Amino acid sequence: MAINWVPDHIPPEMVRDFSLFKSPGMLPAPNGDPHAAVACVHAGPPIFYSPYNTRDGRGTWVITRASDQRRVLQDAETFSSHRSIFASALGENWPMIPLELDPPAHGVFRSLLNPLLSPKRAMVLEPAIRERAVTLIDRIAAAGTSCDVMKEFAFPFTVNIFLRFLGLPDHRLDTFVGWAKDLIHGDHLKRPAAAQTIVAFIDELATKRRKDPVDDFMTFILQAQVEGRQLSDVEVRGIGVLVFVAGLDTVAAAIGFDLAYLARNLKDQELLRSEPDRIALAVEELLRAYPTVQMIRVATKDIDFEGVPIRKGDYVSCATMIANRDPAEFECPNTIDLARENNRHAAFGYGPHRCLGSHLARREIVIGLEEWLARIPAFRIKKGTAPITSGGHVFGIKNLILHWS
Amino acid sequence: MRIIVHKHKCQGHARCSAQAPDIFKLDDEGYILPGDIEVAEGKHLLASRGTRSCPERALELDATPAARAESDVIQPRGRRV
Ligand code: SF4
Repeated sequence: MAINWVPDHIPPEMVRDFSLFKSPGMLPAPNGDPHAAVACVHAGPPIFYSPYNTRDGRGTWVITRASDQRRVLQDAETFSSHRSIFASALGENWPMIPLELDPPAHGVFRSLLNPLLSPKRAMVLEPAIRERAVTLIDRIAAAGTSCDVMKEFAFPFTVNIFLRFLGLPDHRLDTFVGWAKDLIHGDHLKRPAAAQTIVAFIDELATKRRKDPVDDFMTFILQAQVEGRQLSDVEVRGIGVLVFVAGLDTVAAAIGFDLAYLARNLKDQELLRSEPDRIALAVEELLRAYPTVQMIRVATKDIDFEGVPIRKGDYVSCATMIANRDPAEFECPNTIDLARENNRHAAFGYGPHRCLGSHLARREIVIGLEEWLARIPAFRIKKGTAPITSGGHVFGIKNLILHWS
Repeated sequence: MRIIVHKHKCQGHARCSAQAPDIFKLDDEGYILPGDIEVAEGKHLLASRGTRSCPERALELDATPAARAESDVIQPRGRRV
């Protein structure tokens, strides 16, 4: 494994001791604030090289400015997302679709999937989302004056909606969440094992739905046509796996970070409770402050980018949590202002790969907060407990024990 | 007041239409409809908010002298809590 190896074309003065995995504040820590910790990179140069910034210890360029990240992510021709990140964990080489396809092939699949997750579709799903939130929160409120938000609300809420969208059975929810956790946060043994399990599951589901079509996502994919033909088995798998892994962890983490913020900031909590109309805008600010993903692209050719020599094959990291704290883009980026206007945050990325699930994710977060604030009185973090947060490829929050009276 | 739509830059964030669905109309995939937008009197504030919320910079306030004089007047102020 290549660790701390800096390619020859990178001038030593452009190398910085920074990593989303190992820098101070990135390892799992009680009462951590990894988002605030990464914001410190803005004191340094706008672009630098980190010798160990991926899970497997590879180096990446780190793009800190929102405007530069926009340029990278909008230019999929120069900065490709075809990394087979999932398949490579299995020693294979097939793309997750559409994420790991470049234009023009990307557009074909994106157009196929966009209507399924459009703003309009998210609105249609709203009553079911709300009903699910209400059921879970009512149960929590009836049971006492304390709960672990991650276990009892954030995960069962988001994963249920997502499984219903996919047409998967609810009773296996814990199993699916377990796979996702192993895949995203697991070690070098758990990750490939989880990847294997998920691929086998998606392949099996495709076989089943091919035999007995029903009204669900997998059946839609199997019956769909692109460029006048049906999808190949590898394409079906690429889509199924992406949708499966993309939806399982991130929205729950967002809800966790948001409720942790509100538990620590009672004035903001009360403001949103008494004026729920403010929640939709506040959620945009919370998405800015607490995004969860890092995007990595591979340079397809040599390019001098803002004075930096990026060479073919270099990894380029666009971490949403870094762009979202860019002082050149946001006034007082480290202040959380729930009424912030003109908030063009990067939580869902930029460019053609803009998060396909963003509209559904937004609705889930807004509805989750609306129903939580309407049903749970003034809440704080329970004395003697501390939420454990972590940096890494996907930022996370492990537990959040709230208390109210 | 007019908004110039750079359709090729739109990636379907729908932030504009979240601010003002009547002004910023989306297609079935959730991307903005092509063509510049003429904004009616009285809707300028909403329109400029929508424009300023586009992460891709796909929307632009028409900066011809007449249009600019107008939009300076309605420059929105950030509300603070
Ligand atoms: S906010 Fe920008 S990218 Fe999004 S739909 Fe509107 S124009 Fe398109």
